[in-house]
Amino acid sequence: MNAPAPGRPRSLGASLLDQVLAETLDPAYAQAAAARAERARAGGDGTAGEHGWLGRRRGQLLVALTLLVAGLLASIAYGQAAAGQEGREQTRSALRSDIADQSDTADDLVAQLEALTAQVSRTRAQALEVSAVGQHALDELAAAEQGAAVVAVSGPGLQVTMDNAPPAAESDPVGGSAEIAQAGIVQDGDLQLAVNALWASGAEAISINGQRLGATSAIRQAGQAILVDLHPVTAPYVISVIGDRDDLRNRFISTPEAKSLARLTKDYGVVFDYARADELHLPAGTGAELRSARPLDPDEDAATTDPGTGTPDPTPDGG
Amino acid sequence: MIPILGLAIGVVLGLLLDPSVPLWLQPYLPIAVVAALDAVFGGIRARFDGIFDAKVFVVSFVSNVVVAGLIVFLGDQLGVGAQLSTAVVVVLGIRIFGNAAAIRRHLFRA
Repeated sequence: MNAPAPGRPRSLGASLLDQVLAETLDPAYAQAAAARAERARAGGDGTAGEHGWLGRRRGQLLVALTLLVAGLLASIAYGQAAAGQEGREQTRSALRSDIADQSDTADDLVAQLEALTAQVSRTRAQALEVSAVGQHALDELAAAEQGAAVVAVSGPGLQVTMDNAPPAAESDPVGGSAEIAQAGIVQDGDLQLAVNALWASGAEAISINGQRLGATSAIRQAGQAILVDLHPVTAPYVISVIGDRDDLRNRFISTPEAKSLARLTKDYGVVFDYARADELHLPAGTGAELRSARPLDPDEDAATTDPGTGTPDPTPDGG
Repeated sequence: MIPILGLAIGVVLGLLLDPSVPLWLQPYLPIAVVAALDAVFGGIRARFDGIFDAKVFVVSFVSNVVVAGLIVFLGDQLGVGAQLSTAVVVVLGIRIFGNAAAIRRHLFRA
């Protein structure tokens, strides 16, 4: 055992640790051995084996029994751990297949919706084409749809890219995950600044990572993800803008918003880049939401009835 | 030889029977295993030292498992379950290491 240095008082904690580190073997073994030796000396030679609390055979049997219990404990613990792991894996895969099924259903429904919308447009065009008032209404509708971003467009323009700051140089690639400082992550406000500046610079159509922005589109942050119209978009954020290439670019970089975004790059390392593009294709947005509809009265003339869709009222003063 | 046989039979029995442990007992199973491991290592080292005693082994095994479980249970009731279980595992781990080191000295020097 460790004896204290002479003249130095032992602290309570030190003696406890010394004891734990030094006495790893149960002192009962040594005591039992000493007692056996005592009995052997006192009881003469030859009888030490059978005397004492346990005969040798019985001792071995009890040890075997104890080891049996130990083996049982070990294998039961292993079984529990394995079953737990299996259960978790089953739950995970069940959830994954659920997600896949629901995603497929959602995709089917979206395709169905698109087909039905196209059918409605065709039928409406057929119904309205026959008269001059209807044709006029159709033209206004087409202009309104263009403005409401319900049709796909393509043309030259600008591409603005924003991305999170690259991870710090001293972050550990081997041990842990790459750390990006909170200040270096693109937020919804940054995207809003960029988009507002682009609209003000004369953009005709804007989309972020393939999500077309319409008149009522919202860019907001929910937790870690940025949502555009309830569709999550991930970094890097590519803002595709259609408009006059040079004019758009010159006006954009002179807006105060673009200057503040450039300052973000300088201070926090947020990636902010822009480049002119020759041919951009922007998809149609999910625009007109049908709010009210009235079935045609079969007695009235179909050509003179307003179908009553949710798009802006197609009258001359309504615009 | 017989003790080793007992251990093997215990492991096989546990794997075959696959008993379902009651829910309230499940958190104490790992602690019980570590405590049992400590007693077994202590017994092996005593064997190598020549001072093995069956009665001491059995008593130390049972008391280790029961006391370790009791301490963790008490800790759970008091609200310091995680810390006490850490302490128990640390102490048992130190003892296992000490005994394993002694066994290694016997094995590779003798």
